[in-house]
Amino acid sequence: MSEIKLKSIIKNFGGNSIAVDNLSETFPAGEFVCLLGPSGCGKTTTLRMIAGLETPDSGEIFYGDKTFFSSKTGELIKTENRNLGLMFQSYALWPHMTVYKNIVFGLEMQKKSLEEKDKRYLELEKLFHLENFRDRYPSELSGGQQQRVALARMLAVKPSLLLLDEPLSNLDSNLRLEMRSELKRLHHSLGCTIIFVTHDQMEAMTLATSIAVMNEGKIEQIDKPMEIYNNPKSLFVAKFVGSPQMNIVNSKKDEKLATCLSKKINIEKEKVKNFGIRPETMKMVKQDDGDINGTIETIQPTGADWIVGVNVNGKSLFLISSDPPIGKENDTVGIFFKPEDCHSFDDNDLRILKN
Amino acid sequence: MFTSNSTSQNSFLVSLKIKLSKLLLQPTFLIGVVLVIILSYLVIAPIVSIFSNSVSLTMMDAMLSGGKDGEFTYKYVDRVFTSSISEKIFWIPLKNSITVSFFATLIALTLGLILASLVTSTNILGRKYLGFLLIIPYMLPSQAMATAWLTMFKNRKISGPQGMLESFGITPPDWLAYGPLPISICMALSYFPFAFLLFSSALSKIDIQLEEVASTFGAKTKAIWSKIILPLLIPTTMSVLLLTVARTLGTFATPYILGTPAKYTLLSTSLYSSVRSNDSGVVAVIAIVLSLIGLMLLLVDIWVVRKWQRFVTVGGKGIKRQPSKLGVFRMPTTIFAWIIFLIAALGPFIVLALSTLMREPGNFSFSNFGLAYWTGVNVPGMDQPGIFTSPEVITALKNSFLIAGSASIICGVLGLLIGYAVVRLPGTLISGFLRQISFLPYLMPGLAFAAAYLSLFAVARGPIPALYGSISLLILVMVVTYLPYASRSGISAMMQVGPEPEEAGMVLGAGFWRRITTILAPLQKSALIIAIILPFITGMKELSLVVMLVTPGTELLTTQSIRFLDFGYTQLANATILIIGVVVMISVFILNRVTKTNLASGLGG
Ligand SMILES: Nc1ncnc2c1ncn2[C@@H]1O[C@H](COP(=O)(O)OP(=O)(O)OP(=O)(O)O)[C@@H](O)[C@H]1O
Ligand SMILES: [Mg+2]
Repeated sequence: MSEIKLKSIIKNFGGNSIAVDNLSETFPAGEFVCLLGPSGCGKTTTLRMIAGLETPDSGEIFYGDKTFFSSKTGELIKTENRNLGLMFQSYALWPHMTVYKNIVFGLEMQKKSLEEKDKRYLELEKLFHLENFRDRYPSELSGGQQQRVALARMLAVKPSLLLLDEPLSNLDSNLRLEMRSELKRLHHSLGCTIIFVTHDQMEAMTLATSIAVMNEGKIEQIDKPMEIYNNPKSLFVAKFVGSPQMNIVNSKKDEKLATCLSKKINIEKEKVKNFGIRPETMKMVKQDDGDINGTIETIQPTGADWIVGVNVNGKSLFLISSDPPIGKENDTVGIFFKPEDCHSFDDNDLRILKN
Repeated sequence: MFTSNSTSQNSFLVSLKIKLSKLLLQPTFLIGVVLVIILSYLVIAPIVSIFSNSVSLTMMDAMLSGGKDGEFTYKYVDRVFTSSISEKIFWIPLKNSITVSFFATLIALTLGLILASLVTSTNILGRKYLGFLLIIPYMLPSQAMATAWLTMFKNRKISGPQGMLESFGITPPDWLAYGPLPISICMALSYFPFAFLLFSSALSKIDIQLEEVASTFGAKTKAIWSKIILPLLIPTTMSVLLLTVARTLGTFATPYILGTPAKYTLLSTSLYSSVRSNDSGVVAVIAIVLSLIGLMLLLVDIWVVRKWQRFVTVGGKGIKRQPSKLGVFRMPTTIFAWIIFLIAALGPFIVLALSTLMREPGNFSFSNFGLAYWTGVNVPGMDQPGIFTSPEVITALKNSFLIAGSASIICGVLGLLIGYAVVRLPGTLISGFLRQISFLPYLMPGLAFAAAYLSLFAVARGPIPALYGSISLLILVMVVTYLPYASRSGISAMMQVGPEPEEAGMVLGAGFWRRITTILAPLQKSALIIAIILPFITGMKELSLVVMLVTPGTELLTTQSIRFLDFGYTQLANATILIIGVVVMISVFILNRVTKTNLASGLGG
């Protein structure tokens, strides 16, 4: 098991759009890293470059002491020789091979004997509950079963680095939950390094030991999940993680609110371009009891909580709370902010550290 | 100075090293390069040679007129367009071609539209069977219709056995037996299945909801058809129109069989006579004209498709239109549809078959029937052996299988290889070039292409020996002509599979050849079978492409049937055509069985 290190990776698919833009990052050994980001930000491309399915335009990729790729020395290890596991969003099971054939394919490439293949197959069959499927073809399996076969195929050769590209996105929500815990268990028992691509932040938060948030070909922040949530380094990360989204208050457009917030956290308003407050950190109180007053616009019960929209001097803030709201629509209420939960971002959309 | 120089040299070496290892990593690239080289020669060289032929003096003319062999000249251009014989070799044939194409297309289009509407949308009797039966004319070689016509309507004007009508005592007039009328009708009957298929598929794609909406406004069936369905069919109509015109212009057999007796020449037959009289300059000029017409039609097609794109109905739930009740018209329309089947498919078959079984045409007494034309050692009155004992037919049969077979296998494999290179090297120059160049032969009518090959391979050039008179030339020209269809279907087959199955193998340690053999080939098995059988079918029926390239010993079944006709051995020609029809139908049957695809999807060939 080793760490994976990217150095100044640039990948351009022709045209002027850059898929991966000068990316340097180290993914520590044994971690379960989630690559999180909006569609088209370069997650898949990054993964495919690590796997060797794409070649970077420039930069270096190291895995432990092996150089997968280097544009400095010209070294390049073929995908076939990188010995890693990759799982595709579409699973890419071979439709013309049975479950057994699919799973032992990698072992066959390593010229393993029949007994070894059978032995490993039986282990995997048990681990992934694939009994009775041995001679079926992928088209005769359900989505969840196909996925387990794909996982088993990847793990058959015991790779120490697993790359998974949105492996759960085709599943229904129950199966998704099940597979998440399965993956987490696997990570514990195998102790391998996993890089997992998703654009579902819930998945990232629950699975990862660290999350890397990507935006436009760059990693904006890589940290423990709660750290990402509580201390987003940039406006993008703050907005991308959390649902409903963090409330963003522009200090020019929403002057009054911004003034109130800057007083609350004791920062010069001129330094701040945007403030951010997570919906669950605000509290609704009686009129004039909070930091500022507003009018209730919308009330949406979700079952577990209430999402309440409050208009404060023309700016809609969303609050979320597990208690029923204290007023009806069009009532005026007060809002209370906790200073430690108010974030501020400068002109470059970077977090302003508290002094 | 020194250091900077050495680092730049160093970085150059490094990037070279990366490029090289990428190359080794992707044999796709090498495959692409090899394909580019081969195709450039096979596709571009004939085109270049035909252009140069059109303006260079031939050796023969050089000797006659005292010029230099290969000298630049407008002689041939003049000969075709302005000389005293230009009327005969170009202008009249052009006029005739346009006339015949116009009427043939008109009839084919109308028949196709009416039949498609009846079969897809009404309760006409036997609609299930008609859908298949009406495609049968497509499976017969184009000379089947023409020879059947001749067998039926021939009069005493030309030699050989009597026509069937004549033997009943009715003498068909010349205008019915030969010339524009029968040519137009036969072409129309050969080509209406295209129109039928394309209209049927367009009709089944029209979203039924569009019609339902109209009927909620109170529109009756008639109004729905005239206001909604027919206008939506305009783009299809345009495509059918252009396709049929292009095909009728390139057809050789029908005008050759039905036009020659009346000295009615079309461009295709005029080109053929020029080839026979070794007038390679004129051949080149006429071939260029034919290609330009082809190019023009293609451009119009592209333009029409663009223009009418907004008419493309998206979706359609795949709900079948409820067949509308025809009421009192049910019987007449049913009879109409079945009569068309009878005339276009069953009729020719029966006429051809009967003619080969009756010793004397028109005599239906039992004793007159026999297998002499098939199995006889010496057919009375012809001094020829029967089909099954004729060495010529056996050679032609072998050649047909050998040529169409090898061409279709090469074509199928090449098509998939091109598909592989194009899809796996996206955005590269190679990919774009392969795509374009493999499409280029589409622009040239078969006759023109054959003429180009004739001039290119008549003599040895560089490492390539003179191929004229060899089987390989026929295979080669067939491969190149069918390449546009093969490469298109190869590209779409590769697109469908996508790179992932292969990449999954790569990750698990499978090298290039391993991936090809254990993953890609099995996945593309049925695509490959289709890619082989479709050109095989076309190849078995092919005449215009090969007719000027065959030499004694390399005759195919199709050209052999023409030879028989030339000698007036009508029955033998008919029997040969029947053999072709049977082989084609068996191939279609296998195709349906093995791959569950129908002809409609492979109409290109
Ligand atoms: N083969 C390719 N050719 C051209 N452009 C590409 C190719 N693959 C990716 N791109 C472009 O590179 C950028 C990054 O793509 P990538 O697939 O890595 O995004 P992603 O983060 O995986 O998105 P998603 O969440 O939608 O899967 C996109 O703008 C995409 O359009
Ligand atoms: Mg992706």
